[in-house]
Amino acid sequence: MAEFRPLDVELFGKLADPCGAAITISIPAAGCTASELRALVAAHDAGLGSLLTTTTVRFCINGRVAAESARVAPGDDVALLPPVSGG
Amino acid sequence: MSHEVTLSASPFDPVEAQRLFLAAADAGAVISFTGLARPTTRDGHPVTALVLESHRSLTLQSMDGIAAAAHARFAITASRVIHREGRILPGEPIVFVAAAAAHRRAAFEAADYMMDRLKSEAVFWKREEGPDGARWIEPTADDAADLARWHDADSTDAGGIDHVRD
Repeated sequence: MAEFRPLDVELFGKLADPCGAAITISIPAAGCTASELRALVAAHDAGLGSLLTTTTVRFCINGRVAAESARVAPGDDVALLPPVSGG
Repeated sequence: MSHEVTLSASPFDPVEAQRLFLAAADAGAVISFTGLARPTTRDGHPVTALVLESHRSLTLQSMDGIAAAAHARFAITASRVIHREGRILPGEPIVFVAAAAAHRRAAFEAADYMMDRLKSEAVFWKREEGPDGARWIEPTADDAADLARWHDADSTDAGGIDHVRD
């Protein structure tokens, strides 16, 4: 049976509306892709799930913008970013 | 050639910023621009505050990339960018941009370019608060059109969120 570990995920902009600016989810201990992380975040809350079906998000992993295929491991610094509005 | 970029959590004085930049510029032309928070939305509703959410590393990186791109593109000798984050009240300065050059055209164009890119590509999430509640501001068609003015022969300018990835 696969082991899971908690991961804190920061949410920016309107993504913070349903559950606040940070949530904790469980990810496989061996890690997952950024794309799989989005699905886990969407499954965490119905409001977030709904937003994520209509919002293009980018991933920030350890301070860098990352692709859908990038790996996320327990302990990483992870954020989901909706489209920026500019200043 | 120098550029300095600041993300400020508290109000700043654009007149003081201009004075310091002029004193150090050593150039034939200095242009500066100050953007202020408006008291109304685009459709005329009152705004009690504008909230600019930033990311602790990506926001400053995106601003720095935009300033660096302006230096690569225009014959400017120095630039200064100050941008507010957090809660901003109507009338408070949000952004200050200045550029120095030997001749005016490069300074005008660099300041215009930096503002168009800051307004559309800098890593901020913007929310207007008013008597009827809060509303996230999405990127607008006007922002995209302003940005498109600069996408001619070389559309590979660095800066913005797409240029802070590995």
